Amino acid sequence: MALCENCGVDLDEGLIICPLCGKHLVNNNEEEQVSFNYPSDIIRLQKKENRKYLWELSGIITFSGIAVCTIVDLLINKRLNWSLLSDVSVLTAWVILTLFLFAYKRTLLIVPGLLFIILASLFIIDLIIPGKKWFFPVGFPLTIAAFFVTGIVIVLYRAANLKGFNVLAAAIIILSGFCILTELILDKYLNGVVHLRWSLIVAISILPVALILFFYHYRLKKGKRLDSFFHI
Amino acid sequence: MSSITNNTEFFKDKGWLKLDNAAKLFPAIISKDLTSVFRITAILKEPVKYSAIREAVDITAKRFPYFSVSLGSGLFWHFLEFNNQPPRIQAEEAVPCTSFALKRKNEPLYRVIIKDSRISVEFIHILTDGAGALEYFKSLLYSYFTISGKRISSPGGIILPGMPISKDEIDDSYSKFFRKLPAPSKLIKAWHLPFRLNNRPRMSVIRGEANIDEILSLTHRLNVSVTEYFVAVYLFSLQEIYIATTIKNKKRKRKVVRVEVPVNMRNKFPSRTMRNFSLFVSLEIDLRLGTYTFEEILQSVHHQLQISSDIKQISRFLSSNVRYEKLFIIKVLPLFIKKMFIAAIYRGLASKRFTGIITNLGLITLPGEMSELINSFEFIAPPPNPKIKVTSALVSFKGKLMISFSNISKSRELERRIFRHLSGAGIHVRILKNV
Repeated sequence: MALCENCGVDLDEGLIICPLCGKHLVNNNEEEQVSFNYPSDIIRLQKKENRKYLWELSGIITFSGIAVCTIVDLLINKRLNWSLLSDVSVLTAWVILTLFLFAYKRTLLIVPGLLFIILASLFIIDLIIPGKKWFFPVGFPLTIAAFFVTGIVIVLYRAANLKGFNVLAAAIIILSGFCILTELILDKYLNGVVHLRWSLIVAISILPVALILFFYHYRLKKGKRLDSFFHI
Repeated sequence: MSSITNNTEFFKDKGWLKLDNAAKLFPAIISKDLTSVFRITAILKEPVKYSAIREAVDITAKRFPYFSVSLGSGLFWHFLEFNNQPPRIQAEEAVPCTSFALKRKNEPLYRVIIKDSRISVEFIHILTDGAGALEYFKSLLYSYFTISGKRISSPGGIILPGMPISKDEIDDSYSKFFRKLPAPSKLIKAWHLPFRLNNRPRMSVIRGEANIDEILSLTHRLNVSVTEYFVAVYLFSLQEIYIATTIKNKKRKRKVVRVEVPVNMRNKFPSRTMRNFSLFVSLEIDLRLGTYTFEEILQSVHHQLQISSDIKQISRFLSSNVRYEKLFIIKVLPLFIKKMFIAAIYRGLASKRFTGIITNLGLITLPGEMSELINSFEFIAPPPNPKIKVTSALVSFKGKLMISFSNISKSRELERRIFRHLSGAGIHVRILKNV
C-alpha cells in the first residue's frame, strides 16, 4: 500500500497517480491534470459547459438568421444585395461573442482579437459597398483611436485610488478629444481640408460637465465610488 | 408496509420524485455563499483506503437509490430526477460545504470527501436532513469497514446493502402528517450580530471538543438536557454581545434574541422517511424586559423547549409550513415566479426572524466493533445567511461532544464567549486546529 503525501489516503498497489488529487506518487514534481478532484472543480466545469451551451445556441440563432436574410434577399432581388451587409454584421457579433466565451477572462487574448475582428469586418463591408473606399482613410484610424481611448479610460480606472466621479470626468475630457480627432479624419476624407466645427462645440459644452464632476468628487463627496452609485 | 427488492425497476417506473416541503425552499435561495450544504465527518483510526471506500460508496449508493438524483425544473415545481449516479469521491478543500453544480445534468447532490483518516459526507439540504444523512453515513461506514476486512458481527440498526428498500423511505412526511390547524402567532424581527462579513469564500469553521461526562454531570445537576444547556449558553453569550454593542449604538430597535433549533420529527411522528423531516423550534429571550442571568435563561429555555416541542405545537408549525404549497393559486404559479416570491419572503422576513441556529445531531451509536475503529465524529452546519452570520452544530460520540461553528463574519467574538462560558462552568473545551 502507498500513501498519497497530499491527501494522506491509502492507495492500492500499482496506482501511480492519486485518483483524488492527481498527484504523481513516484515522481512528485509532476502533477497530472485530473479534473473533478475537488468539490469546487465541478462548479468551474458547470460554468465552462454553460458557456459552451450559450455558444451553440447563439450559433444556431446566428446562422438561421443569416439563412433567412439571404433567402429573402435572393427571392426579392434575384441576387445578393442588402443581405450581405446584415450577414456580415450578425456574423461579426457572433464571432465577438465566441471570442469572449472561449478567451474567458484572458484580456491579452481578447483585446487584440477584438481589434482584429472589428477591423476585418469593416474591411469586408467596405469591399461590399460600391463607391468611394473609406476603410483605409477613415475606418482603420478611427477604430484604432477608439481602442486607444477606451484603453486609456480602463487603465485610468484601474490606476485610480478613488474610483469615483473623477474617472468619469477624465473619461469625458478624453471623449471630447476623440470627437476632435473624428472630425479631423472625416473632414480630411470628405472635404480634403480640415475645418473644425461640431467637435469644438461638443468639447466646449462637455468640459463644464467634467468640471462639475471634478468639483463634486473632490469638494463635495470625496471618494464616492462609481460602483456603489450606479449599482443596479 | 410495501417493500421493493428490485430498486432499479421501481425507479425506472417512477423516474422522478417531488421535492418535500422543506426542500422546496432551497432551490430559490441557494447561492455561491448560501450553499445549504452540511457535512458529517468520521475520523477513523487508520488512513482511509481508497479502493475500499470506492467500492463501499458504489454499494451503498445502490441501497439508497433515492439519493442518486439531480435537480430538475418543471413548469410549476422543481423535482428530483433519478440519475443512477453514485456520489463523487473527492479530496478535501480548505472551505467545507461548498456548493453543488445544481444545473449540471446528472450531477449528484451529495459527495464523499476523504483526506488522511477522515471520511466526510456532504449533502445538499434538498435531499435530506442531518438524520437522513446520518443513516446513509452509518451504512457507508459499515460497508467500508467490512470491505477493508474488519469483522462486524451485529450491525444493530444500521441499514445494510442487501436490505429491501421500503417505499416509506421516500415519503414526504410533511404532507403525510399535514392537518389544517390554526397558524402559530407571528414572530417579530430579531436582533442580529453586528459583525462584518468575511471576504469570499466567507465560510470558516471553528471546532471544539468537550468531554461529555463533564457536561452530563453538570446538566444532570441542573436537571436540563445538553441541547437546553448549550442553547442557554448561546443565548447568554448573545445577550453579552448585545449589551457590549448597544453601549456604542443606543438606537437599536430590535431587542428579541431568538435561536432556531431543528427537531427531528421522526421521533414525534411514525415516519421512516430518509428525506427531510425536521422542523424548527424557536427559543427566545426578550431583552425589552431587561437583562437576564444565566440561570433565568436556562430555566426559560428548558420550559420553552418543553412547550414548543410538544407534538400539538409542532403540528401547528408543520401545518403552517405545508399549508401554502397546498393552495391551488400557489401550485399553478410558474416556477420562476414562485422562486422570486420564495426568495423575497426569505430575504425580507424569514431570515430576519432569528439571531442564530443551533443544530444537535445527538448521540451517534454504533455497534461496539465499529466504534472501536472510529475516533470521533464531526458535524458542520451549512453556511448561515448574512443576517445570522454564525450557526452552531453539535454531535456526540463515545464520550466526546463536538461543537462546530460555521461562521461567515470576520468576528470570533461569539465563539470566544461561548467557549469561555463553558470552561468557566468547569467544562474543558479543546479547540481543534483546522485541517
